[in-house]
Amino acid sequence: MSVLSQAEANPAPPSRHSEVTAVKRITAFFLFLVLSLLGFHHLIQFGMRRIETGGFGVTNRIVAGQVNANIVISGSSRALTHYDPRIIQDITGRSAFNIGRNGSQTDMQLAVLKTYLQRNTPPKLVIHNLDSFSFVTTKEIYDPAQYLPYLNQAPIYEAVSKITPHAWKWKWFPLYGYAVEDMRYTWSLGLRRLLGNQPAEDHSEGFQPRNAPWSGDFELFRRNNPEGVRFSIEDKGVEDISEIAALCQRHGIALIFVYSPVYFEMQAMEINRVEILRLLEKISRRFNAEWWDFSGSPITRERGNFHNSQHLNALGAAHFSHELASRLADRPER
Amino acid sequence: MLFNSLEFAVFFPLVVALYFLLSGRWRTPLLLVASCVFYMAFVPAYILILAITILIDYWAGIYLERMEGKRRKWLLIVSIVATCAVLFVFKYFAFFTKSFVGFVNLFGTGLSTPVLDILLPIGLSFHTFQSLSYVVEVYYGRQKAEQNFTTYATFVMFFPQLVAGPIERPQNLLHQFHEHHWFEYNRVTSGLKRIAWGFFKKLVIADRLALYVNDVYASPQSHNGLQLTIATVFFAYQIYCDFSGYSDIAIGTARVLGFKLMENFDRPYAAASINEFWRRWHISLSTWFRDYVYLPLGGNRGNRAMVYRNLLITFAISGLWHGAAWTYVIWGVLNGVYLVIERFTQPARDRAWALVGLVEATILRRVVGIATTFALICVGWVFFRANNLADATYILTHFHLGWDFGSIRTEQFLLRQMPVAVASIVFLELVQWLHPKISFTGVIAARPIAVRWAVYATFVIGVVMFGVFRTNQFIYFQF
Repeated sequence: MSVLSQAEANPAPPSRHSEVTAVKRITAFFLFLVLSLLGFHHLIQFGMRRIETGGFGVTNRIVAGQVNANIVISGSSRALTHYDPRIIQDITGRSAFNIGRNGSQTDMQLAVLKTYLQRNTPPKLVIHNLDSFSFVTTKEIYDPAQYLPYLNQAPIYEAVSKITPHAWKWKWFPLYGYAVEDMRYTWSLGLRRLLGNQPAEDHSEGFQPRNAPWSGDFELFRRNNPEGVRFSIEDKGVEDISEIAALCQRHGIALIFVYSPVYFEMQAMEINRVEILRLLEKISRRFNAEWWDFSGSPITRERGNFHNSQHLNALGAAHFSHELASRLADRPER
Repeated sequence: MLFNSLEFAVFFPLVVALYFLLSGRWRTPLLLVASCVFYMAFVPAYILILAITILIDYWAGIYLERMEGKRRKWLLIVSIVATCAVLFVFKYFAFFTKSFVGFVNLFGTGLSTPVLDILLPIGLSFHTFQSLSYVVEVYYGRQKAEQNFTTYATFVMFFPQLVAGPIERPQNLLHQFHEHHWFEYNRVTSGLKRIAWGFFKKLVIADRLALYVNDVYASPQSHNGLQLTIATVFFAYQIYCDFSGYSDIAIGTARVLGFKLMENFDRPYAAASINEFWRRWHISLSTWFRDYVYLPLGGNRGNRAMVYRNLLITFAISGLWHGAAWTYVIWGVLNGVYLVIERFTQPARDRAWALVGLVEATILRRVVGIATTFALICVGWVFFRANNLADATYILTHFHLGWDFGSIRTEQFLLRQMPVAVASIVFLELVQWLHPKISFTGVIAARPIAVRWAVYATFVIGVVMFGVFRTNQFIYFQF
């Protein structure tokens, strides 16, 4: 047996000193690893918060207090895709900005509005878009990565934590949110920004038009729901809508609740539509907010204006923004 | 407790620290307690089932060593039957009664299936087989009975390999609980590297591919032939990376503590024949079936028909071991049939190759062999993964239909995930192919500490950023 194989067969026990050295080296490596993870996390966050285009560009402008618009439009993807601030500005002569949030319910919309008001000069007018989902609360946050760089904003973190109790891990464990919750590699946008790349610009003053024809999803939806659909009215949802109105009241901001166009055949399928509209109207009256319902607008009858039953396409959004802006222009200042 | 959980990230360093701080006599009890905590994190009550198996085989081992003659043989049989009975009740009772009732109802008896609504304890098949191998080895005198209950219980419950193997033989593992393990830098870091590699396989490859596979196999009828094909190839890599990733983490975890577990996989998709595949896939189970089922049945002894029978029986049981469903049985039998055909046609195939002038060692012949084996194994995986026989049949008859390159993505698996999925599989194969030629760890170890640490940290960050962390269980836990 060679010396080497003898040594392999009966390895000499390491000395206490070498064991301690081993522990120190391994501990040092794990500290280095934690620091690397932390550094990488901050690198991503740094990049994300410096994106100037797309959805992150919009949020970054809000958080940096660079918007300061006269009219703010808030709501879900329906707000995001229906209201073109450029048209509103052209017709009313007042600056406008859209803070609509894709895939959000009223709870998250409220958080975004609160963040806006904390970081920007309060607008003169808030237009909050409503729909049949307005009284439904978020069960699972859609695309959580859109909020990850902004967990240092109290209203956003508070809202996210209420929906996802383990959101503290997103905030305090480096990379946890991006690694666990985000399946879209959103973090790569932050790194690309550091290398000088911006995402393609698909927003104008926060507005993101849908340049798409009728998708056909509605036909499938109607086939699957021949009896129509009922939307839930949750107490918490009612509270959140009321809180939006109360928030505007506290800041002395005029508020218009707008029910933007929904494709007319879909309206007929909504079993409790009247009940929802009545409740929305009641809340408007309670907080002295205006209530504009576009359910009967001619826009709703033309399929060519829609991408699907809930969302106008770019053409429909242009028509609607004109109709809304004209009404705003005729509206006496309060 | 899952390896890919925050709990384990706290549990493991704590166990390692305590293990090396404690004196020798307290280390095995610590591992037993740690193993209980690890197992009870799933369903606490099921530890009682494990305790029953451990008690039966512990006493069986001691008495098998003391007894002589026929009584000894009877004790072995009683011990095997008792251990298998636990497995039968929890894993197969519902399957067999349902199959039996289904069969007799063909004759219009109108029987209803008795309900036994119990969950399968995690890893039951694994520790049952490990226990069985212990009593058989003691019976044949190849292993001394373990007198210390704590040591024996820890051998069966050793947490790194408790729920999904490798299924260890007592000759390899049991004596290691009596040895003193030092905190050796090279061994500990080698274990940590193996764990990191296992997490890469599990989180970056297996769990990402699972998103695609789950979507397609949940409703094969709503996917086109291309999607069915991609999902099946993805499943081949998903199950390999899931299971071998688990084995890597188990081997690495044990290595950190000073234990050496057996290797369970050896690049199975580089196999150029079904026979070679089964020498490279789930080695601890394949050798278990070889030693305790195939050889006792007669193995390669006897005429051709006997050998083929032995192969088919062994693989049918292997299929049933994997799961209590006909799809698993068919998967097992199919692999047995492959082997029978492979053996039967070997001379004819050799002659055909010789005719075209390709002797055995040619690269082309090996490539054809690898591709054919992979395709055949994938056909088997369809039965293994499909929810039922109807789905499996649908998939196998629709692979070639309606290939639409415009609709590759699925509901959960966005198109942007495809490059990561494919690149990680290519990376895996490349590393595995180069590994016998180049020692990556050796190359990195020769670099200065700053380079080494940067490489390791980059790898870990890569796993974190490209991994899927949806607390997916390991597939083999269910067996």
